[in-house]
Amino acid sequence: MGNCLKSPTADDISLLRGNDSQDGSEASSEPPPPYQESVHVPMYHPAPNISRPASQLTEEEQIRIAKRIGLIQHLPTGIYDGSKKIRECVICMGEFCVGDAVRYLPCMHIYHKECIDDWLMRSFTCPSCMEPVDAALLSTYET
Amino acid sequence: MSLEQSALLLRRQLAELNRHPVDGFSAGLIDDDDIYRWEVLIIGPPDTYYEGGFFKTHLTFPRDYPLKPPKLKFMTEIWHPNIDKTGDVCISILHDPGEDKFGYERPEERWLPVHTVETIMVSVISMLADPNDESPANIDAAKEWRERREEFKKKVARCVRKSQETAWD
Repeated sequence: MGNCLKSPTADDISLLRGNDSQDGSEASSEPPPPYQESVHVPMYHPAPNISRPASQLTEEEQIRIAKRIGLIQHLPTGIYDGSKKIRECVICMGEFCVGDAVRYLPCMHIYHKECIDDWLMRSFTCPSCMEPVDAALLSTYET
Repeated sequence: MSLEQSALLLRRQLAELNRHPVDGFSAGLIDDDDIYRWEVLIIGPPDTYYEGGFFKTHLTFPRDYPLKPPKLKFMTEIWHPNIDKTGDVCISILHDPGEDKFGYERPEERWLPVHTVETIMVSVISMLADPNDESPANIDAAKEWRERREEFKKKVARCVRKSQETAWD
């Protein structure tokens, strides 16, 4: 959720430029606030529309997320070698380059590892065919 | 998805839409320096109550697009069961992904990272043609659409006329 409070500096700048600061645009132009550590804090998604750092998750959410990470790590990965029929990662719309890390879903759709892993943390379905990944995973274990 | 990647993806879509425009809408940026805020002009679909209208909308993408959906707001006044009175569009493909506990929406009806400006606008145009009065955002419009169709048509016709006058402002 965005912070709706605008800092006084941002307002001053917009006054000098003579334009109204419109919603959504105020964050991009202003300099970073002082004393903010630039350390990257990984965000987790206990529910699809909630983003929280690990320190603010309930125990139950931590377990759910840990399980999800475990499941994702069970999915096979590989290095794109140019021999596959699928040539584009439909998440970033970028063509696969030889040497890219890719992940294979049970439905045989492939994506950049980085693109699909982020998505699978939010929703455990294949973005192309909507096949639930966990159901497919379980059925492959059974055979 | 990093900031640069979401910006790159949006730039790619904008270039593609400029090269190969799609029937029914035209898309550009509100401000050339901000790839996350688009202005899309929707042409009222033929053979619907909205035919002849030009509806200005703003499409605002989150920094973590395409993992999260953009928001779509009609800037031109419009009367429709699935668009609330402030112009915010409520359709399932713009709802956050995921496990819908109550089963109201199947996962394929909700946001997916394969959606693009084109697929979103195609859905919105089909929503104009075919309102879903089971999950209304504008209850008055939904009731009218169901029970007093003539009154509904009149209100839409007024919006269409108004949209023609203001489209090129």
